[in-house]
Amino acid sequence: MIVDKMEQSLRPVETPMAPYPPKVITMANGQKLVIRQIRRDEVPHILEAVKPLMTVEKDFYDVVASRIYSELLGYYRYRVKDEYCLIGTIDGVIAGLVNGRMVDDKVGMSYHTMTLIQGLRIGAQLFAAKMEYHLDILKQEEVWVVAESPNGFKRWMIEYELESRPEIWHELGGVPTYVLTKALWEKHKGDKLAGRRPVKEELLKTADNPILPETYSQIPGYKRCGK
Amino acid sequence: MREVGIVGIGHTKFGKMSGGSFTDMLCMAAVEALDDAGVKTVDGQHGIDQVFVATMGAGILNKQSGIASGLVDTLNLRPAMAETIENGPASGASAIKLGYMAIASGMCDAVLVVGGEMMRVVSGWEGTDFVATMLHPEAEYDYGITLPTLAGMFTRLCMEKYGITEKDLAIVSVKNHENALHNPVAHLHTVPDLYSITEDEDAGIINPYVASPLRLYSVCPVSDGAAAVLLCAMDKAEKFAKKPIKIAGIGQATDTHAVAEREIPTDLLAVRLAAQRAYEMAGLKPKDIDVAELHDAFQILEIVESEEVGFFNRGEGHIAARNGETRIGGKIPINTSGGLKAKGHPLGATGVSQVVEIVKQLRGEATGRQVEGAKAGLAVNFGGFGNNVVATILTKEEE
Amino acid sequence: MDEKMYAYKCTACGKLHHPKHYVCKKCGSRTFEAVPLEGEVTLLTYTKVYNLPEGYMKPYLYFGIVEFKNGLTVSGQLEVSDPIIGMKLISSVGVIKEGTNSDHYGFIFK
Repeated sequence: MIVDKMEQSLRPVETPMAPYPPKVITMANGQKLVIRQIRRDEVPHILEAVKPLMTVEKDFYDVVASRIYSELLGYYRYRVKDEYCLIGTIDGVIAGLVNGRMVDDKVGMSYHTMTLIQGLRIGAQLFAAKMEYHLDILKQEEVWVVAESPNGFKRWMIEYELESRPEIWHELGGVPTYVLTKALWEKHKGDKLAGRRPVKEELLKTADNPILPETYSQIPGYKRCGK
Repeated sequence: MREVGIVGIGHTKFGKMSGGSFTDMLCMAAVEALDDAGVKTVDGQHGIDQVFVATMGAGILNKQSGIASGLVDTLNLRPAMAETIENGPASGASAIKLGYMAIASGMCDAVLVVGGEMMRVVSGWEGTDFVATMLHPEAEYDYGITLPTLAGMFTRLCMEKYGITEKDLAIVSVKNHENALHNPVAHLHTVPDLYSITEDEDAGIINPYVASPLRLYSVCPVSDGAAAVLLCAMDKAEKFAKKPIKIAGIGQATDTHAVAEREIPTDLLAVRLAAQRAYEMAGLKPKDIDVAELHDAFQILEIVESEEVGFFNRGEGHIAARNGETRIGGKIPINTSGGLKAKGHPLGATGVSQVVEIVKQLRGEATGRQVEGAKAGLAVNFGGFGNNVVATILTKEEE
Repeated sequence: MDEKMYAYKCTACGKLHHPKHYVCKKCGSRTFEAVPLEGEVTLLTYTKVYNLPEGYMKPYLYFGIVEFKNGLTVSGQLEVSDPIIGMKLISSVGVIKEGTNSDHYGFIFK
């Protein structure tokens, strides 16, 4: 698209952000989960993986998927400042994704965590990877977190003992916010953060062209129609 | 007392029921058992005298009481007698026991027993809380103690006393998952990789503690499901489609409610007594058993139960598991169905599901996981945390 | 307010019980007197539980079974950073569950 003066004025100024170094986690069934950051130009493809879940009410998938869809679209169209998205793939198939953005050099805003392949606790690994990105890679001091679903609340607010800060309002609907501080991260990351680096060449290659899942256990009877 | 046999079996796929009511789920298992036995569900022709429904949560989780009475009507089995039986996770075996007594006493000729639970309609929190209601109210429940808490403490004691390791529990878990691959009705059809859940650098994170030293892959999942058996008097069995499998022995025993009050904390006394009584009634010994379904809500239980029922000496069950003696093809295959670990554990259904698996084994219908020439099987259904245990022995009659 | 925990002593034969039983475990009698249950205990077993029930907002809790000097074996919550089987602890009474109408009090071993 033509980036004229109007477009320029509508785009946020981008801050240089250190890229997320890919890592691999061995799942309980022996499969390898490769976690890597996506490029902006990959968004339209990733959106196709998110789309089918936008109407699944159970476990708040509809809210989470719809919000992720709009967040990623905003990132793609240069309307969100300093956003990132990490995906996890197993044998090249997208298993889950997380996203968020850098507010400033000290504060990270966690957006969402969504698991596509259920049953392997992939959400927990992706959430930890996201926190690792903010606190260990971008070297920020704290991350602001909210949860839409009770599952999310239990997994993050309770398990990480997040600090309640109701006086600050999260970008996601202005709901009372919980914070992962550096101190809390150092306390819990030993139990929560997994993964090996660097990822072997051939394994990393499998994540190059993320494959859209054919079926979703959250949507009984769904099958992706070939394009 | 008349002899009692099983002539029909039914079993839904355990896991997450998508759609349908609790009663619908029970009906699916019930009609499969009735069809298996060749029963016509027509008024005046069905010949069913009594229906027992085994469930712990229908009233609490699914807001339905008197469920057996409703089931009789919707299955067109009126005016059969009907009751709902509750004995925690041992409801299934208890219901079969009562069915046995109804026929053995001469009061009934044919009894349908259906066990079921629909637990995934509530959150994990509520599910854990519901299961904890069977614990001692003041000494355990009020403390926030749950079944995994009790299992964790028991496991640690057994590890201290007998040298059982976390890896031993994982070995049992992997075996059960492998068995479940050949059981179409099992909840889980994935197999954990032993190295990944025990020794890999990230094993501690992807296989985290639930209640130390029990890890995620050593505790059973939360499942929906139903299973059914049709019992009949052996002397009236010819009118059914298949040859009966005989209920040769039943034993049951209770122990202290508060686990802290158990006399020997590493013993499962109720399991030992229940099994002894069942063996006595059947006129059999542990070595006569060819296949067993042992209640493994926590993998430590499979190991200790295998000792308390007399398959191995105390403190040697984990060594037998390490050596593959409890695998299919081994000395005494345990949990060929996948056990509660991989087949799933809808509380009220489990006791019936275990008996269904033994019947399949004795009939030679356990495709892909068949124990060759199995003639006698044992099922142990564990209620509460071992304070009420029912053991059932089935045998195949000689031709 | 100082909450106390009690053992129940059979008035006929003296056998101690905790928790309460309706009928004496030893002689079958039905009357008991409440005797304070407190003091030093030995830790018999413990567990660190991560999946807590409804209403417990902590990431984990330690639970254990202990033995009092009088021989009674009892379960309770633990406030110990590194439990070891055989260690000596002191019994205390605290809120073990926050209720909507009233809190539940029970053993917390430290």
